[in-house]
Amino acid sequence: MIKDIAAYGNAGILNFIQALNINRINRIVSSIIKQFSRFSTEGKIGIFGVFCIILMAVFAPLITTYPPQKITGDSLVPPGSGHFLGTDELGMDIWSQICYGARMSLTIGLAVALVSGFGGGAIGILAGYMGGHIDRLLMRVIDVTMALPSFPLLVVISAFLGPSILNVILILVLFSWAKPARIARSQTLSLKQNNYIIAARNYGAKPFYLLWRHIFPEVMPVLFVLVIGISSHAIIAEAGLAFLGLGDPTSKSWGMMLNHATSFRSIYFTPYWQWWLLPPLFMLIFLLLCLAFISRDMERILDPKLKIKKGF
Amino acid sequence: MEKDRNSFIFRFLSTLFVILAINFFLPRMMPGDPFSTTSADEVGEEIIVMTEEQRLYYMKYYGLDRPLYEQFSKYMKNLITGDLGRSIYYKMPVRDVIWLHLPWTMLIVMGATAISTISGVVLGTVSAKNRKKGSDRVIMTGMIAFAEIPSFLLGLILLLIFSVYFRLFPLAGAVTPFANYNGPAEQAWDILYHAFLPVLTLSLSQLTGVYLLTRNTLITVTTKDYIRTARAKGMGEKTVWVRHALRNALLPVVTRTGFMIGIMMGGVVLVESVFSYPGIGMTLRSAVINRDYPLIQGILLVIAVSILICNMLVDKIYGKLDPRVRI
Repeated sequence: MIKDIAAYGNAGILNFIQALNINRINRIVSSIIKQFSRFSTEGKIGIFGVFCIILMAVFAPLITTYPPQKITGDSLVPPGSGHFLGTDELGMDIWSQICYGARMSLTIGLAVALVSGFGGGAIGILAGYMGGHIDRLLMRVIDVTMALPSFPLLVVISAFLGPSILNVILILVLFSWAKPARIARSQTLSLKQNNYIIAARNYGAKPFYLLWRHIFPEVMPVLFVLVIGISSHAIIAEAGLAFLGLGDPTSKSWGMMLNHATSFRSIYFTPYWQWWLLPPLFMLIFLLLCLAFISRDMERILDPKLKIKKGF
Repeated sequence: MEKDRNSFIFRFLSTLFVILAINFFLPRMMPGDPFSTTSADEVGEEIIVMTEEQRLYYMKYYGLDRPLYEQFSKYMKNLITGDLGRSIYYKMPVRDVIWLHLPWTMLIVMGATAISTISGVVLGTVSAKNRKKGSDRVIMTGMIAFAEIPSFLLGLILLLIFSVYFRLFPLAGAVTPFANYNGPAEQAWDILYHAFLPVLTLSLSQLTGVYLLTRNTLITVTTKDYIRTARAKGMGEKTVWVRHALRNALLPVVTRTGFMIGIMMGGVVLVESVFSYPGIGMTLRSAVINRDYPLIQGILLVIAVSILICNMLVDKIYGKLDPRVRI
C-alpha cells in the first residue's frame, strides 16, 4: 500500500518534470557544464574553492558543535579532541569562528560587488547612452572618486561613523562604483555606433528596450569580471578594517580574529599563534586566491585582447 | 594641450577639495558635540557634565557657534598656515606628531619603491628574454600568486616565518630600544635591520605590477622595426637589449612607480600595524583606537596630499621623458 503510493508519487514527479520540459533543463545543465569546461585547471580550482567556502558559510550551524560567540571551554586549548581547532583567549571555539566568519566575508564581498558593480554599471550605461552634460558631470565625479585614496579615507570614515556592517558596506560601495561605471560608459559609447543598434533605433525601438535588449547583455560579461574583482577588494578592505579594530564588534569575522590574536600581548612568544592566527590568515588568502584565479580565467575567456586594469 | 592642463589642475583641486570637505564635515556630522559627553568609555575616566551656560561658553570659545561657512573658511586659513590643531592623546600640535613619525614611513615607502622597481625591471627583462623557455613560466606563476595576497596578510606571513619561527628579525619597532650605538654606522645598521621586513613586504606586494609591465612592454618593443635595424647593424645583443629595448620599455614603468608610491601610502597603514613600525600608519591606528580626532584628520590629509602630489608629478615627469606626449 505504502509502496504503491510511493511509486505513484514518483510517477507523478516524473510526469511533472516531463511537463516542465526536460529538454530545457538538460540544455541549462549542459550549458553550465560547457561553460565550466572552458575554465583552465586554476579556474576550476578557484570555483571549487569558493564553492566550498560558500557551503561552509551556509551550513555553519551543521558542521560546528559550539556556538562561535560563547565560552565553551578553557582558554587557549590547543587543537585536538573536543575543540577541532582549539580555542582563543576567551575559550571560544576557533573552528566555529572560522565557519561563521566566512559568512561575514562573503556577505560583504557579495553585497558590495553586486550593488556597486551593477549599480555603477547602470549609471555608466545611462550616462554613456544619454551623453551631454550629464555624461560630462558624471565623468568629473568618477575622476575625483577614483583619485581619492580609498583605504585611508575608509579608516577615517568608519572611525567617525562607528563600525557596523551596513556602514562598512555603504562606504565600500561609495568607493568602488566608479570603475564599473567608467568601463560600462566607454563600452556603451562604442556599442552605440554599431549598425545593428542604429538599425534597431530606426525601427522605432524605445531607449529602454535598446538598453535592456542590446546594450546591457553586451556590457554584462565585462561587469561580471569587475564584480569579482570588486568583491575581493571589498573582502580585503573589510579584513583590513577589522584588523585595525574597526570591524563590527557584534560579529565575528576573519579580520576580527586576526585583530584579537595580534593584540594579544605575548602571542608571538607563545605557541598560541599556531592555532589562533594561522586559520583566519590561511582562509583569507585561500578565498582571495580562488577569486583571483576565477577572475583571471574569466578575463581570458571573455576576450584575450581585453585587459581590465586592476587597482587597489 | 592648454585645455588638458586646465582639466588636470581642475581634477587635482577638486579631489583636494573633496578630501578637505570630508575632513571638515565628518566630525561635525557626528551626533552630539564635543562638550556633551556624558558617558565614560574607560574605567577611571572622569565624567564632567557641564551646565548649559558652560557649554555655550565653550562653543563660543572654540567658534562652534559661528555659521558653517565661517568655520570652514577659518579651517582653510589654519590649514594654509600649517596649523592642523592639537592632538588630544599626545598633548602636542598635530603637525609635530606627524613630523615625528613621517620619516619612518618615508624610509620604508621609498626603500620599497626602489627595491620593487629595480628588481621588477630585472626580473621582467629576464622573463622577456626567456619567454619561450620554462623559467619564464615559473617566474610568472609565482609572481601572479604573490600579487593577489594583500600586503598586510603577506606581512603577517613574513613576520610569522622570519621573526617568530626563525627569530631572525625583530618583532616590532624601528630601532632597538635603549640601545647605545658605537658610531653612526651601527645605528644605520640597526635601522636597516628593523626596516627590512616592512620594506620586503611592501616591495613584494608591488613587484608583480612592475614585473608584468616591464615584461609585456619589452615583448612589444622587441617586435619593433628599430630593434631589427639595430641587430642588422651588427650591434651586440646586450646593447640591443639595454640601449634600445629597455630604454623604451622603461617609460611606462616611470608612471607605474608614481602610482605605486600612492598605493603604498594607502597600504602602509596596515603594514605598519603588522610590524608595529612607528610611522604615520601606526600612528593612525593608535589615533583611531584613542579616538584622537584632530590627529586622524591630520594624518589623512598628509596621506591624501602626498598621493595626489605623486600622481601629479608622474604626469609632469612622463611629459618630460616621452616627447610623443608633448604635442
